[in-house]
Amino acid sequence: MNIAVLLKQVPDTTAKITISDGKVDENSVSKWSMSPYDEYALESGLQLKEATGGNLIAITCGPERAKKMLTDAAAVGADTLVHISDDGVSDSTHVQKLLTAAVKKFDSHVVLCGKQAADTNGGSTGPGVAELLDAACVTLVSEVNFSEGNFTTIRPSNSGTEKVIVNGLSVFAFDKGSSELRRPNVRGIMMAKKKPVESITSGDLGVNLDPSNVKMNSQNPPPEKPAGQKFEGAEYVNEVVSKLRNEANVI
Amino acid sequence: MAYEALDFYDVDSLLTEEERMVRDMVRDWVDEEVIPNIEIACRDGVFPDEWRVALGEMGVLGAPLKGYDCPGLSYTAYGVICRELERGDSGLRSFASVQGSLAMYPIWDFGSEEQKNYYLPKMASGEWIGCFGLTEPDYGSNPGDMITKAEDMGDHYLLNGAKMWITNGSIAELAVVWAKLDGVIRGFIVEKNDPGFSAPEMKGKHSLKASVTSELVFQDCKIPKDRMLPGVKGLRGPFSCLNNARYGISWGALGSAQACFDSAKDYAMSRIQFNHPIASYQLVQNKLSWMLREITKGQLLAYHLGQKKDAGNWIPEHISLAKMNNVDIALEIARVARDIHGANGILDEYPIMRHMANLESVKTYEGTHDIHNLIIGRHITGIQAFTREA
Repeated sequence: MNIAVLLKQVPDTTAKITISDGKVDENSVSKWSMSPYDEYALESGLQLKEATGGNLIAITCGPERAKKMLTDAAAVGADTLVHISDDGVSDSTHVQKLLTAAVKKFDSHVVLCGKQAADTNGGSTGPGVAELLDAACVTLVSEVNFSEGNFTTIRPSNSGTEKVIVNGLSVFAFDKGSSELRRPNVRGIMMAKKKPVESITSGDLGVNLDPSNVKMNSQNPPPEKPAGQKFEGAEYVNEVVSKLRNEANVI
Repeated sequence: MAYEALDFYDVDSLLTEEERMVRDMVRDWVDEEVIPNIEIACRDGVFPDEWRVALGEMGVLGAPLKGYDCPGLSYTAYGVICRELERGDSGLRSFASVQGSLAMYPIWDFGSEEQKNYYLPKMASGEWIGCFGLTEPDYGSNPGDMITKAEDMGDHYLLNGAKMWITNGSIAELAVVWAKLDGVIRGFIVEKNDPGFSAPEMKGKHSLKASVTSELVFQDCKIPKDRMLPGVKGLRGPFSCLNNARYGISWGALGSAQACFDSAKDYAMSRIQFNHPIASYQLVQNKLSWMLREITKGQLLAYHLGQKKDAGNWIPEHISLAKMNNVDIALEIARVARDIHGANGILDEYPIMRHMANLESVKTYEGTHDIHNLIIGRHITGIQAFTREA
């Protein structure tokens, strides 16, 4: 089975984000990491590969720096590393088209990805790729297993969890998965170093990136937290309780 | 908040991508598994067995050794591993140093093909722990006068004597023991169930509490003939091992120093006295600035020595300088960090006093600070000052 895992490199969740001229300043990001939900997808992909055999294809669309994340994926067991240049990419529909073309190019039987990227939180990649592939799509999954030609997935439902079974070409978008991404080891790291990253462009994939209908006006930092308030003495008890109840909503 | 290492001169940018990946692997593990559990391990005085398993799974034991299922990394990578482990705790780094440099290395360098094939894969995977017996109760800095001896009994060797301050002793499957055979120092592999061998644990340490320290006792200990290391005679054997372990310590101590610096900086920024954070006072800034200065110098020293180890153009005196300097500054940084933390500095809520107590051992073991000075003194003058004799 060819298992495609779609990955995105995002600022590490601990990295400080600065905005300059209405845009996130990427140069000021101290650490880039694999988006956390994608990590769950990758781990599930590795488990699927171990259970069924096959080839795990790690695909990303992004700038040069994203290749490092593919090498990290190889260190834990990704077999084929595909980097699609993001030249000319200006919105998520472009990304979906490119990823879809790569998924096809590598004859993938199943596609795993995170439910949303930790930076843009768009959440459109999984459903978007599924639509273009004309594939089944199950979102917010925590687990994907394969047996007798079917994929069995677990996802939340109104009353707890539900089991969804699909077959054929399918896309699974991961919420927090049931197992964390495994730690690499020295052997994996040394093998990853030898694994080439296949670099392709929209031209190589035969994808025409139409002019985008989406315009990003500006990005803004979240509003600063209001300053803390200090109360001293028993006479403030009623006021504090009321604030905790009505403003902070914690009691 | 993920750990951001102090790296003022971007020394880590000189590492290869592989070395950085190994660093991140070990660093993440230390953050997730070691730092949350280290204080309990210290209070209980145990080395958690999960750490042995994890080190084996990560594949970092015997880092620079090649073949026999060993990792085959660079010496620079080995140094980086030591630094990341020791940011967690010196006892953890000691475990890895002893396993890799003191137990696996002599088998790898001086062992027979059969010994290498038999022991090294299981030691690299962490399944078997090794220890190293050189120091004796009365012979520390002067191991050449050791008393432990081996006798050739025809179909076996008989060992008699005692070793002391042996890291991993009581949890080890095997010990690489140095003993005199007809007056010549030779290496022997002693297995834990060999008759006449025991390894009682030494209790009551105020330092390296999460590391097992033992005596090794040999009372007519009988071992098969094929357990002697054929490839080396004399003090060159143990000293080759110590060179590698000391090299690792020169990196490791920086890990402790960085942990102390981080803790001191964070504390100074948040501790308010006289209405201002104490970090705003010049005396405290002077201390933090001195810490950063010494850590940065130590990082350059360790990295350059790593490059020399990898290129093979090093001499033992280079290692003496780095071990001596980096442990010395790490210990002083830990003490100054303790001072910045005020009374809070004595609590195990902060890592500094643990590092400080650990580093007292690190300053003494693997060649004391003073002995390394004498090694460098001999290098400068050509006159050895270890003994009164010429």
